[in-house]
Amino acid sequence: MRIKTPREKRILYIKTIVRWILYISIIFISFTAMTIGTWKKPMLLVPVALCIAINNDTMLSAYTGALCGFLTDIACGRLFGYNAVLLTIFCTAVSLIYELYLRKKFFNYLWITAIVSFIQCWLDYKFYYEMWDYADVELIFTEYSFKIWIYTMISSVVIYLIFSIINKFLMPKEHLTIEEVIKSS
Amino acid sequence: MREFLKSTRFKVLLAFIAFLVGIMIYAVTKGGYSLSGASFINTITKPLRFVTNSISVKVETIIDRYENANFYYVQNKELQKKIGELNQKLADYEDLQAEVEELRKLAVIKEKHPDSTFSQPAEILGYIANDPFKSFTIDKGYADGIEPYCPVTTAEGIVGIVIEVSQYTATVRTILSPDLSIASVCSATNADFGITEGSVITAENNMTKLTHLNINHKIKKGNLIITSGSSGLFPKDYPIGTVKSLGVESNGLTAYAEIEPCVDISRLHSVFVITDFVGKKETDDEDKNSP
Repeated sequence: MRIKTPREKRILYIKTIVRWILYISIIFISFTAMTIGTWKKPMLLVPVALCIAINNDTMLSAYTGALCGFLTDIACGRLFGYNAVLLTIFCTAVSLIYELYLRKKFFNYLWITAIVSFIQCWLDYKFYYEMWDYADVELIFTEYSFKIWIYTMISSVVIYLIFSIINKFLMPKEHLTIEEVIKSS
Repeated sequence: MREFLKSTRFKVLLAFIAFLVGIMIYAVTKGGYSLSGASFINTITKPLRFVTNSISVKVETIIDRYENANFYYVQNKELQKKIGELNQKLADYEDLQAEVEELRKLAVIKEKHPDSTFSQPAEILGYIANDPFKSFTIDKGYADGIEPYCPVTTAEGIVGIVIEVSQYTATVRTILSPDLSIASVCSATNADFGITEGSVITAENNMTKLTHLNINHKIKKGNLIITSGSSGLFPKDYPIGTVKSLGVESNGLTAYAEIEPCVDISRLHSVFVITDFVGKKETDDEDKNSP
């Protein structure tokens, strides 16, 4: 990375603040959307947390995961901290995987979201329904958990697009283009 | 002048004036009705007058608009302010009306169950996301005297039980949940006891289930199921729902009834929490820590 001028640093600082304000706004909008109505809704905060984890460093991803997890717990009436622990682990892992192995491609995001949200839905079903041995409990998996996972996957595409737009304008570039290198030198 | 006074023109003029005076006197005697001539003139000139009048009104309006623009601007501002105030009053009135309605419902329940103590009306903050059993959160908590395991009701019937309380909010588990069991009895027979308990299948249709009924029960479709009050968790004689269908359990030993709750649990706006009632089971510390 080339050395930044004070002006560039200031712009970067402002962009980062605006970016995080937008991230937090999206998190709270998603939370609000999750608490409206009695119909089945996607777990919007899972793809949101993953989208943030993909583009940020491990610690920030972990904090965001925890925040999204706590909000998911409130929205879903789960034990406070249950989803926070899950999403913190997932976001940290995803952030690391992206840092070390994966490129920031839509397909990579899609399969990672599919796996993470499926595990989240499956664990929720296991701990909150199957474990208590309700009659016809498998119906909850087919009628709720699975459908919610599908809705989450569909919503994750929209969420990815929103984050792509935000990151396109507000995320500092990791690598310089050849033109930029020539210009800066 | 003398020539004019002696002329025929003057005489004709005098005659005409006399004629007009005559008409005038005649018109006075008509008692408010137009003379036929005047009516005729009025009739044929009516469309013309209508057109000219409308044109003049438009012209006057345009002129007035430009002449008094400043006055109208100020007046408009004042009226907007007044509309704002009136809208605010309307909103307050609607709030008040809703509050009165809630209190009226509370009065109805209080009249039916004088031995119970109720909380203030609690608004539904939201339903728990993706919960098959429609648990929800209310805007009253332990600051309002609500404790865990307080029954929750509406004027129509029992809704559920408080399972988690924070200072200003509480979470309610509904009668659709298999985790909530209510000792119940059929109000018609007053002898057929059972346990109202939700299930995964019945919750899909916003229904609940009365289980552990004696195989020789006398319950019929449409009978009202009420709380029996024997568990100490719910007060006695609160409606739960009406019987929609009956059947025998797979073990063949007991019967069940599917119940449509008296309250549409998926469309609640406000509820009341029963903070105290006759026959309430005293919860010790151990109970308080376990659902």
